Amino acid sequence: MRKYMLKRILFSVFSLLVVVMVVMVLVYSLIQRNVIFQTDDTWNKKSNNDRIIYEYTQYQKYGYLTWVDYTTFVKNKYEAAYGASYSTEKAYTDAKNAVQKADWAESEDVKEFIDKYGNSGYKLRYLEPMKYKSGKTKPGGNGYLIAIQEKNVVYRLWDYLKNFITAENKNMVTDPELTDRYVRFEKDPYSGLFAIVGSGTQHKYLLYFDGRFPFIHQNWLHLNLGTSYTTYRGQEITAVINAPTGELKSSRQQYPNMLGTDEYVDTAIDFHSLSYNTGIVSDVEKQQFPDKYTVYTYKRSGLSMIENSFVIGLIATGIAYALGLPLGMLNARRKDKLADKLGNIYIIFIMSVPSLAYIFMFAALGTTLFHLPYKFANAEVKVLAYILPTISLALPSIGSLMKWMRRYMIDQMNSDYVKFARAEGLSEKEIYNVHISKNAFIYLVHGIPANILGCLTGAIITETAYSVPGVGRLLTRAINTHDNGVIVACTVFYTSLSIISLILGDLLLAKYDPRISLSSEKGGGR
Amino acid sequence: MSKKNTTPQTEAELFRFIDRDDIASEKITAPRYSYWKSVFRVFFRKKINIFMIALFVFIFLVAFIMPIFWPYNPMENVTNGNTYNLSPSAAMKYFGPNIKWILGTGTLGNSIFYGCISGARTSLLLAVICAAINMTVGILVGALWGYSKKVDAVMIVVYNIIANVPYILLITVLVYIIGSGFWPFVFALTVTGWLGIAYFFRTQVMIIRDREYSLASRCLGTPVARVISKNILPFQTSVIVTLLATELPHYISMEVFLSFIGVGLSASIPSLGRMIQQGQTAFLTYPWAFWPPVVIASAITIILYLLGQNLADASDPRTHM
Repeated sequence: MRKYMLKRILFSVFSLLVVVMVVMVLVYSLIQRNVIFQTDDTWNKKSNNDRIIYEYTQYQKYGYLTWVDYTTFVKNKYEAAYGASYSTEKAYTDAKNAVQKADWAESEDVKEFIDKYGNSGYKLRYLEPMKYKSGKTKPGGNGYLIAIQEKNVVYRLWDYLKNFITAENKNMVTDPELTDRYVRFEKDPYSGLFAIVGSGTQHKYLLYFDGRFPFIHQNWLHLNLGTSYTTYRGQEITAVINAPTGELKSSRQQYPNMLGTDEYVDTAIDFHSLSYNTGIVSDVEKQQFPDKYTVYTYKRSGLSMIENSFVIGLIATGIAYALGLPLGMLNARRKDKLADKLGNIYIIFIMSVPSLAYIFMFAALGTTLFHLPYKFANAEVKVLAYILPTISLALPSIGSLMKWMRRYMIDQMNSDYVKFARAEGLSEKEIYNVHISKNAFIYLVHGIPANILGCLTGAIITETAYSVPGVGRLLTRAINTHDNGVIVACTVFYTSLSIISLILGDLLLAKYDPRISLSSEKGGGR
Repeated sequence: MSKKNTTPQTEAELFRFIDRDDIASEKITAPRYSYWKSVFRVFFRKKINIFMIALFVFIFLVAFIMPIFWPYNPMENVTNGNTYNLSPSAAMKYFGPNIKWILGTGTLGNSIFYGCISGARTSLLLAVICAAINMTVGILVGALWGYSKKVDAVMIVVYNIIANVPYILLITVLVYIIGSGFWPFVFALTVTGWLGIAYFFRTQVMIIRDREYSLASRCLGTPVARVISKNILPFQTSVIVTLLATELPHYISMEVFLSFIGVGLSASIPSLGRMIQQGQTAFLTYPWAFWPPVVIASAITIILYLLGQNLADASDPRTHM
């Protein structure tokens, strides 16, 4: 069994890697990359060589390639040689302007640049200066020498995996001014309990308690699924989906420097989220904070995106199992009677009508008849806003569970054990509720983990229809905005969930039905 | 058994010689039975099926014939702002009584009624073509996949990988690469769509593959293609028809869904999905732009689903009593 599981997990990891690779090829190589400029105003304003340079800058940001500009190379070289006053040196200006001249290839610096990058897999590209007949340079027509490196898919995957999980340590901040570096237990003034506090780490509080579910939080290990470029400007996607949404929640708090005094302020700052400020600390901040940990996020009243999706999905799944299974049993028992016919009408309706249609139908009913809030953000009582999306999401699951429960129970009805039970004189109720339903449920056990974990991926149509801030539209939005990092992140997330739920489903099935053995070695497997 | 009072008969009286007929001895007398005749007899026994077929033929004819004579042009009133979002009665008042405006106008003064008819045509075409391609490829591959253990070892890896690539992502990328016309869209829906059908069918074939009669056939040296086509596929007729009943409506829903998330057919092709997507933004204010395409799409899918289910029931030989 252990050997089987190991094999299974290894295979899962392998297929996950291949999926990520396939998706990387799809998004980075197969889609025309210049579509990102279709609605880009900056691109429209730039012209000639400047536009090409801008394109490369954007391509690098979107993760298509890496490139080096000759000017940056020269700047770094002379800055190292002459220090901060390098820009006034004549040698520097000469070197910088070399690419604007006709004999650019003769310059020593250019030769060095070509040597360095040409030999290490970069492709060199020289953009000739564009001039009018009068000799004046055209707008954006400066000459450029650049070295471009296209990332191949294996390298890209390796790059991705290398930074997949990072742990913070006390040498993470590369600020020479910071001398006192430690990671230690301290009493946390904000929760009154203990916390692991770091100095030299990216975040100040590495492990802490607070009043928000699940009450214990960490900033120690970071999962880098992918970085968003377009939608969530440069943020890590796991941070985005875990950040609370909604309105700011102010409370009476103290800045770190106020601790121990009677001074209080009304602020929504989450002091547990303090992270190191690599820029300049303002005077106001110096009064408020004892150290350079001055970057923070705010406390918000709502749940995070993923929590929204998960709460709605989980309750909907609960409702679906609580209603779908008994209704399916009832339909099977009353086959061809009124209850079964009504159930069938419902199943046919849910299975065949486009989900978009009945979700809106339901939204119209709920808002006009029961005056439930329709758009999530407009709801005055937040709890009420969850009702319509949850029920909308439960409707199709109820239908599908009903359908399969009924089908499997009817299939079981002529089995020998049912005849035997009847011959033994068991009541019909007991036969149906205990024996048949238990055997029919075997077929449905496998899907339970997939249904529960699937809630983490959100529901596209339901969340859009009710404007729920959830994760359902993450992938579609990323695709529409060419947010390649998020696309890869979503793929990894969805694929891992589907793989995990398959394995869990198999384990649960083997647990529920002892006749099923997963590893076929010992015999007895079906 | 002999009775005492009867007069004894000689052997010559009791028996006579006849010529031996090799051909006749090969014939087995059984009532003539045609599988499909029997299927349709059961199918048409239900009056609801006849009604639904009539309804389907009606929608089909209207959807395919009407656009020939009254083509749908969503941009015809785009310059006239007064025609935007008119309710049916307002549209009738504005344009004069005409069946074209019976359902009001959309966001750009387009006729909802004509849009629905043309959209229904697109949806029906899409469903039929995609289902035909996916079912054919899926069933052929699935039959081979389930039958051969070598193919199974390879295909199960392929399946595990491709099934995990998000479907929306795949379709979007394909739409970006090959465009969003009708045929590229068919390609995007079918390029991996057959895989799920093949996987489902593989399991079905595996169940039949090891049955005794199939084993006997193999022992007698029947070629693989013949075992698949004569021993396995006929057993699967009702499974195939059930699959068809869920596949046909599936593509109509799929088109609606993809239009909704913004990767549907291009704007120049009238489609129900696009109309629903345009109507949903203000479906409480302008309900006439939202509900007609929804009702048409739902009607087509329900009819197809029910017809398919009933045909599947009828194609199960156990119901042929």
